[in-house]
Amino acid sequence: MSTGFHNVVVRELRRLTSRPIYLVGMVIVPVVMALFFVGLLAPGLPLKVPAGVVDLDGSRISRKLTRSLDAMELIDVSRTPNSYNEAMSLMQSGQIMGFFVIPENFEKDAVAGKGPALTYYYNLAIYVPGSLMFKGFKTMAVTTQGALVQTNLVDKGATGRMADVILQPLTISSHPLNNPWMNYSYYLAPSFIMGLIELMVFIMTAFSVTQEIKTGSSRQWLEKAGGRIGTALVGKLLPQTIIFSIIGWGCNSLLYHWFHFPMNGDELWMFVGMFLLVVASQSFAVIVCSVLPNPRLALSICSLSGILAFSLAAFSFPVQAMYGGMAPFSWILPVRWYFMIYSDIALNGYAVYFARWYFIYLLIFPILAVLAAPLMKRALRRPVYVP
Amino acid sequence: MFKGFFLDIKEWTLETARIFRHEMSACLSDIGVLLFFLFLPLAYPIVYSLIYNPEVTRDMPVAVVDRSRTAMSREFVRHADATEAISICGYAADLPEARRWMAEKKCFAVLEIPEDYTRKLLRAQQPQIQFYCDMTLLLRYRTFLSSITELQIATGAQIRERAMSDLGMPSSGASENISSVGFAMGDTQQGFASFIIPGIVILILQQSMLLGIVLLGGTRQERRRLRGPLPWDSCSPSAQIFGRALCYVLIYLPLSIYILDFVPAFFNYPHHGNLLQYLLMVLPMLLATAMLGQTLNIMASERESAFVIIVFTSVAFLFLSGLTWPRYAMNGLFMLLGDFVPATWGLEGFVRINSNGGELWQQSHAWTWLWLLTILYTATAYLTVRLQTRR
Repeated sequence: MSTGFHNVVVRELRRLTSRPIYLVGMVIVPVVMALFFVGLLAPGLPLKVPAGVVDLDGSRISRKLTRSLDAMELIDVSRTPNSYNEAMSLMQSGQIMGFFVIPENFEKDAVAGKGPALTYYYNLAIYVPGSLMFKGFKTMAVTTQGALVQTNLVDKGATGRMADVILQPLTISSHPLNNPWMNYSYYLAPSFIMGLIELMVFIMTAFSVTQEIKTGSSRQWLEKAGGRIGTALVGKLLPQTIIFSIIGWGCNSLLYHWFHFPMNGDELWMFVGMFLLVVASQSFAVIVCSVLPNPRLALSICSLSGILAFSLAAFSFPVQAMYGGMAPFSWILPVRWYFMIYSDIALNGYAVYFARWYFIYLLIFPILAVLAAPLMKRALRRPVYVP
Repeated sequence: MFKGFFLDIKEWTLETARIFRHEMSACLSDIGVLLFFLFLPLAYPIVYSLIYNPEVTRDMPVAVVDRSRTAMSREFVRHADATEAISICGYAADLPEARRWMAEKKCFAVLEIPEDYTRKLLRAQQPQIQFYCDMTLLLRYRTFLSSITELQIATGAQIRERAMSDLGMPSSGASENISSVGFAMGDTQQGFASFIIPGIVILILQQSMLLGIVLLGGTRQERRRLRGPLPWDSCSPSAQIFGRALCYVLIYLPLSIYILDFVPAFFNYPHHGNLLQYLLMVLPMLLATAMLGQTLNIMASERESAFVIIVFTSVAFLFLSGLTWPRYAMNGLFMLLGDFVPATWGLEGFVRINSNGGELWQQSHAWTWLWLLTILYTATAYLTVRLQTRR
């Protein structure tokens, strides 16, 4: 057993260093993409959304409103179109993300109590800046409304404090736990990095296994392992497990130490989780290759599921809200469970007890791979390459 | 002299036609390529729609810690339960218990009503309710926040009316002084699928085409290595790239009609503008992508390389296109990288026509960029073919 294992490991190390594609797929792509996400999302929130103000009133209040909008951190008043149509055209050509309309005679009507209306338009075709813009516009509209109503109430004989209470009889203060800055990067960067690691493990495992079938070297591989499929698989995949784990741990360090992403729990478990993610993803690819020992099909299935994982693992749209039939597809993706571990331990800082099941689910993948291994053995003995 | 020129043109056209015919039969006889060229663009929009089609997340479980335990606090909880986002899942005795529920995923938020809620309300002292929200998903928080804001305004209005009449003031008038209305454009129902699908489908067009082209290119390189130069390697490089590009674009035109016109119509996504404008918008994108793919062939040494070098770029291009993270907030380097991805401009143009009801002439910036990219990648594809077919 041990000599066979040793032989396979040495053979695999030679194979990995024989072609640049392994270096590209296992090291360069994950590292460059991790830096890409962290670098791209570094600002945290896309502030200063380009906006327009259509000021049809041109009064003291409306000018003040424009200045206050521009002073908000969310909004950058970059255009002052003269009409609704002009503003709409600017939005349709992508120069502004939305606009705020102050109607004619706004000041006069407001003072006279004629109930003028402020309107604002925000482009949700690009979701995040659209939402931020809505927040900025709404805040401005409500505070303007509030200021005018308060003046009105005080004129009618209410005291200042009474006016406050009448305006807002109760308040609800929101506490976004563990991400009070609502940093958007905290969602996108860790989840896309883990999704990418899973994707590259899928592809490289399927690539390296099916290459043996394609070139017909699989028999020699199996012979080196003394004919034992377990020795053959572990000996071949262990060097890759180690390389990917080191890359994954490096990504974790990049996130939690260099860029100070939230790490509210026990970091050790994130490292354990990363190792299990690599092993579970390798197991997933081994299962696919065992069932479909054909380079094209195995790589296609691995690529398609690896890409769909970015949506199915529910990094942005919750599984609970998807159609019921979709949930099982998210369960079979290892990154789903690593994402839950990330959310429980790194983001929310819960004790590992609450995340225990996610670790166990990740451990099920290698067990299933063991069950699928006999199928793989048959394919390795009689390699057939169908392009 | 002119005669020779026209003869050359004729010969070149015949060569291009030959390459085109050959490439078309290569595409149609290769199951791997058909998977990328037909199955992916046909099935992926449906798969993504199945994932995102519920559009919104509603009735998420929320725990209540009610320290007040009065009729008014219970009324508030009933109103909270009636909002779109919140579904009250139970009363926790205290915050630690509620926090445990949260860790066990029994609830995603906690509503805490203070002990003096009713007393303060009746004394007009502005009680403060606390709302703690799990931040694992931004979409959940966003939905909660809009319901919470509505709840505060509605409850406030109800209490205000009571207080005003107690004070002997006319209850109307105070709040009707001015009003404000917001309109969501582009995605009027504020749904997730309506926002993401029009962008994703453009990326599907580009990425599936790239995968197919690199798979074909890798197969050619593999054959060259095993059996020496291929019969059509002697054709002029420009005839090769144009013949192949013509083949890819022709396959993709009907798919574009399906993806850009049928899919939004089937699933009732935002769908303005007309087919002619969409097609004119994506035509340069398809051309640029066909040429980009033939440029990337330089890295494809065998059939399976396509998976290693192309698949992951989908994620990178998704970000560079500005769909999840707007382009204006990127720094110069990423902006520049995005400029060179055809889907970035195709996506901007299509989304603005399809979702925002713009016209093609308003997308001139994106359209010009796409033609410039076509020229650029034609040059690089030419170099790649020269390099690969040189004997």
